[in-house]
Amino acid sequence: MKRSAAILVFAIVSQAGAAYAQDAASMQDAASRTELIEQAEQAKAEALKPARAGKAEEYVARISDVFLSGQMHWHAFWQNAYSGGGFTVGAGYQRYVSSYNMIDFRGSITPSGYKRLETEFLAPGLFKRRGTLSVIGGWREATAVNFFGLGQNTQQQSLTNYGFTQPYLHARLEVFPTRKLFVVRGNFELSQWNQGSGSGSSPSVETVYTPATLPGLGASPVYIHTQGMFGFDSRPARGYTRRGGFYGVTVHDYADTDKLYGFNQVDYEAIQHFPILREAWVLAFHAFAQTTYDKGGQTIPFFMMPSFSGGSDLRAFDSWRLRDLNSLLLQGEWRANINRFVEMALFYDAGKVAARRSDLTLDGMKTDFGFGFRFHGPITTPLRIELAKGNEGFVLNFSASQVF
Amino acid sequence: MRRQLAFLLLLTGIGAVAAVSTAGRKFYDDDPITRAPESRSAADAKPLDIDLFYEYSYNLFVNASRTPSNTRAGNLNTIDEVPDSSWFTNRIGTVPVTAEQIARGVNSDTLPSPEKWTLLREKSSGTNPGFTAKDANGQIWFLQFDAPEFPEASTGAVEVATKLFWALGYNMVETFITRVEPARVEIDPKATVRRPSGARTPFTRDDIDRVAERAARSPDGTFRASAGRLLPGKVLGPFRYQGTRSDDPNDLVPHERRRELRALRVFGAWTNLVDWKAANTLDTLVEENGRSIVKHYLQDVGSTFGMANNLHEWDMGWEHYYDGPATKRRFFSYGFALSPWQTVPYTEYPSIGLFEGERFDPTTWKPQTPVAAYTELRADDAFWAARRVMAFTDDLIRAAVHTGAYSDAAAEAHLAAVLIKRRDAIGRAYLPAINPIVNPTLGVNGQLTFENAAVASGFAEAPTMYRAAWSRFDNATGASTPIGRTESATTSLSAPSGLPVTTGAFVEVDISADSASHPTWQQPLRTHFRRTAGGWKLVGLERLPDQAGAGAAPTPTASKERP
Repeated sequence: MKRSAAILVFAIVSQAGAAYAQDAASMQDAASRTELIEQAEQAKAEALKPARAGKAEEYVARISDVFLSGQMHWHAFWQNAYSGGGFTVGAGYQRYVSSYNMIDFRGSITPSGYKRLETEFLAPGLFKRRGTLSVIGGWREATAVNFFGLGQNTQQQSLTNYGFTQPYLHARLEVFPTRKLFVVRGNFELSQWNQGSGSGSSPSVETVYTPATLPGLGASPVYIHTQGMFGFDSRPARGYTRRGGFYGVTVHDYADTDKLYGFNQVDYEAIQHFPILREAWVLAFHAFAQTTYDKGGQTIPFFMMPSFSGGSDLRAFDSWRLRDLNSLLLQGEWRANINRFVEMALFYDAGKVAARRSDLTLDGMKTDFGFGFRFHGPITTPLRIELAKGNEGFVLNFSASQVF
Repeated sequence: MRRQLAFLLLLTGIGAVAAVSTAGRKFYDDDPITRAPESRSAADAKPLDIDLFYEYSYNLFVNASRTPSNTRAGNLNTIDEVPDSSWFTNRIGTVPVTAEQIARGVNSDTLPSPEKWTLLREKSSGTNPGFTAKDANGQIWFLQFDAPEFPEASTGAVEVATKLFWALGYNMVETFITRVEPARVEIDPKATVRRPSGARTPFTRDDIDRVAERAARSPDGTFRASAGRLLPGKVLGPFRYQGTRSDDPNDLVPHERRRELRALRVFGAWTNLVDWKAANTLDTLVEENGRSIVKHYLQDVGSTFGMANNLHEWDMGWEHYYDGPATKRRFFSYGFALSPWQTVPYTEYPSIGLFEGERFDPTTWKPQTPVAAYTELRADDAFWAARRVMAFTDDLIRAAVHTGAYSDAAAEAHLAAVLIKRRDAIGRAYLPAINPIVNPTLGVNGQLTFENAAVASGFAEAPTMYRAAWSRFDNATGASTPIGRTESATTSLSAPSGLPVTTGAFVEVDISADSASHPTWQQPLRTHFRRTAGGWKLVGLERLPDQAGAGAAPTPTASKERP
């Protein structure tokens, strides 16, 4: 009986909440306010339960632990084998091989049969956290890569396609010598481009062209590709940013082991973000030029020539719509921030390819415009959805990366 | 078991109803209590962590859309005050507090001894780099450094805010500004670091370098650090801003109904404590008066002033991490519907951050995520809190700010000036919002005197008339018998004839004010006085009853913003 009375006091006080105030006081035959509260404390003391999180919280905490403990081994992998493959599904399994270094086994596939299988070793803390080393070995296959011919004025109707498989071993070392701003990068890649027939709905490339009319048709060169980049990078993060810029020059050497298809390439890239009204809007600009140079009369195969892959450059055009020895891409975006996680963007793209570098002018560029949403975190953009319009129609793009 | 549960539920239901419907003795002889009893041992309380991601999600998507219950705070004594407890100690606004006391705060005479630091563990939470370390005297401290872009900022903010919140009444951690010289740092042989791989491996010199790379280094090569002393007792983890601990018998009042926790919305607005979350609190089990009790602390209050945000997060204090109305507005206008934070002018000091007082409106201030105590703030809670903020004189504020040891005198002056402006904005917003009559006394001769907190602070014109409705009050039954009404243009009113004179008698006085610009002042302040041998003693004061339609406190989910 005494216990029941105590429970009653506790129930009253805890429910009414007015533990120290007048409303609850009248309920009990206590001699003082202090005694009344002590009765309630005694009641609770007799019904104590271990403190524990609710089911939902426990579940969320368990997931958080998995993510933060380094024990999250399986992950989604959205990267296509090659642009133009369409919607990609994939998965990876990663695990740490030391305190900071990890290895990742991953693969992806598309409905059109594009496949990628690779293993990456990643060491992100070299040179006292100034450098990152990535070594990737893998194999990929693209079954239907668009080819519309060479030059700026090709027709959409002249679409052909080709396929290739490529085993590759790739190493990349990137270093910020002063931890920020200045960046240098060196790449080494050994790979074989086994060009073959395309399996797309358009004619395969060899049914339309011959080696005489299309350089490198049927070639399967083995490249030793080395490149060096020097740049200035003031962006807080590459995956998502509202300010800062990047200016860099990359020099490539593609050495064909048979000395038939070797060439050099120089890329020039500039990115700048201009925040307006405390990042209510961001004006973002991107310029990217690729120039190639033949190497002692060797042929630059058509499938290695600069082009526009589609989803992040000329967004209203088919992937690989333009291709030639040199290319120029200009992009501008007016981004509006909705909140910390979503932004909208109006964009404009202009692209041009040319056989001669001197022809990379602003005349005759293919252009498009569009609108899109980006779902982002502080440093990454997991989802980008854009509708682009050009003179060849509309294209709806989905991407798991920042456009630039 | 099921039957027992049903019985408990029934009792609970009966209790909830009975508490508001049954008349009976209203006041006890020891009313108003000044200290809440904590009479039972909490020795069985066990540590419990609170998941940050869950808390953020719950706050943003449940609390943010929750309708405030408009329930009176549950831990008040009978005169609408918060008694001292393991949560709170009445200091400024209740007792005189000097500049020297504020500058000292909770700190003891035992400062950190920086001649040698022995690192014990890495800092596992928060954005600023740091360590747990033992000083030359063997005392354990939590060291936290400034980010390179903001030298003195985080350490200064922790120091100043700790002093302010201590003066406001909270249990705080002893915090000092100290120095760490890398050459005098040793690593405890047992010290380990949790790596990204999840493994714990021995602490190395490279780990020190890793932290040092993220910390602001002084020209002499040392690092300025904020040192928080290890609290005594057993650490139980953070407390929640809603519900109670089921393993603490003395924790009776749901935390969202504790006035001192609701009041953090006002104190947080004043100091821009945007990182208001469970993780920045701590419960410890300590021995007091031979009994184990749970003591509740605020800790890591360095996310204050402009320091929760970097220089590119202007919306801190203006919007939650996710703010639905603001999102819609920007979406439909393509960002042209500007929010106030996009145009408010800031005087930027690296050691202070984005902190301003010109456009500050405490009623629209928002932390990163809204805890339940934030949404439950009522106008009477805000009034109580505003009086405490207003109790800080300019000199007291400057004394607290000076403890930040800012090397830039202009930055120090700026911080003090902004705090003074924000203090006044809080007083202006909350003191006139409801009946602001305070400190009523009833003289033995029947003269009722009081003060008007809003008028005294200069935030409102004096009302044209004060009115008092007098009744005899039967403490046994709760019945009131009218005696009469009096009025006065001043803060002194005479009682009508017929006031009881016997010791132990009670009188109820409802005091209201006529003010054309403040119609809420007509809601009477209900007071009760008990006749004692020495005269009349105030035993009851109720500024707003339950479900009173509080009015002054903003609806937390409303996206009310300044033009």
